[in-house]
Amino acid sequence: MKRLFGILSVLALVACSSNNCPLENIVTCNYHFYDREGVAIKYGDTFTVTTLLPGTKTVYIYRKLGYTTVTVDRPDTAYTNAGYTETIATARRDTVLINKASNRSYVQVPMSYYNKADTLVFAYSSISRRDTIIVQHDAYPHVELPECGTHFYHNLRSIRATDAAIDHVEIVNPLVNNEKKENVKIYFNGVVE
Amino acid sequence: MEWLSKVLLSTLLLLSVHTVGAQDEPIVILNETDTIRPTKYIAPLTEKPKLALFQGFTLSADILGPIIYLFSDYGSTEAALRLNLKNTYFPIIEVGYGKCKSTDVETNISYSTSAPFFRAGIDFNILKNKYMDNRLYVGARFGLSSFKFDMSGPNMTDPIWGGSSPYSYHDAKSTSSWMEFVFGVQVKIWRNFHMGWSVRYKQELHIGQPSYAKPYYIPGYGTTTDTSCWGGTYNLIFDLNWGKRKVKSGE
Repeated sequence: MKRLFGILSVLALVACSSNNCPLENIVTCNYHFYDREGVAIKYGDTFTVTTLLPGTKTVYIYRKLGYTTVTVDRPDTAYTNAGYTETIATARRDTVLINKASNRSYVQVPMSYYNKADTLVFAYSSISRRDTIIVQHDAYPHVELPECGTHFYHNLRSIRATDAAIDHVEIVNPLVNNEKKENVKIYFNGVVE
Repeated sequence: MEWLSKVLLSTLLLLSVHTVGAQDEPIVILNETDTIRPTKYIAPLTEKPKLALFQGFTLSADILGPIIYLFSDYGSTEAALRLNLKNTYFPIIEVGYGKCKSTDVETNISYSTSAPFFRAGIDFNILKNKYMDNRLYVGARFGLSSFKFDMSGPNMTDPIWGGSSPYSYHDAKSTSSWMEFVFGVQVKIWRNFHMGWSVRYKQELHIGQPSYAKPYYIPGYGTTTDTSCWGGTYNLIFDLNWGKRKVKSGE
């Protein structure tokens, strides 16, 4: 009888409900870094990732002979006082996804729910040119459990990139969900010695 | 000559004396290594009559599922027809109807379904005495349900790129299967009427799901919060003695 009571107690404990949602309940596309030969690396340069948003915005461009051109979202009198020429222009809206990251072996980047393609701009601190990655994908909503909420999963269709610091890019796992698997390999120029 | 006749006569007399003594008391010659063993008692044979293969059908209904539905978002009702073979093996078919209507209080996602389910398997009476009307059994089931479900939730808004759309799906189709391992008890109450309970460990085999949702509740299985779960039944059982033979004919 004691044994039966013990078994029933264990069953009652096991039957207790718990939240089964993953701890990191966010869907991201995971870009892992490699050198040109395919060796996994930590990218040492500081870089910022921005993405283009739908619509346009007004930008202020300051130019001065012999100096780097500066583009900002708001007018800055400091530049005009310093002899810069101000030009008002229209540009695509953008937002920063990853700000000044360094020494990273991968980045996790969210994807758009309703756009067919996302444009990511990698800006590096050590080189003036930027890289643009355009990734096409199909997005679809998904509910794993009601208690975990709704998410958008994605199927990567194609990817391409410019060649400022990037040698080439490759899709290794087209399904983007909250399992945190590697989705894209970014091969940077150069070889680790 | 006279001496020889005396020796022969005396020898014949001695032999005749020994022969008379042998009829009253046997001569036992024991070696030193021999031991005396007790005689083994063999009881007269009281063999029980052999049970016939076919021992009738059992009809049962679960009353725990409907009670659970009164106090939660889901539940089921089911009945089973069980074949009794030698009071030992019990092939069984279970048919039921499961229902779920729930809304998560935190995410406000609603789920609803109602559909039949089917199970087939076998129980094995593990009691040594197969002649008892009470039974303790273990068994296994294969479960199957083909059903439709509705799922809806708040609008999904893209926090970075913008845009919004409702999350609402109706009549999503799923065909799911699972295995169950059963431990149960059945006790005779009165005549052919029994009561009993079972505890079941259930393991998902296949969950059919569209891309936009995994079914939250599978009729007959339960909620899919994990790939396995526990369940149970409390059964009212009635023995149907159609064509039942207690003992093999001719024995």
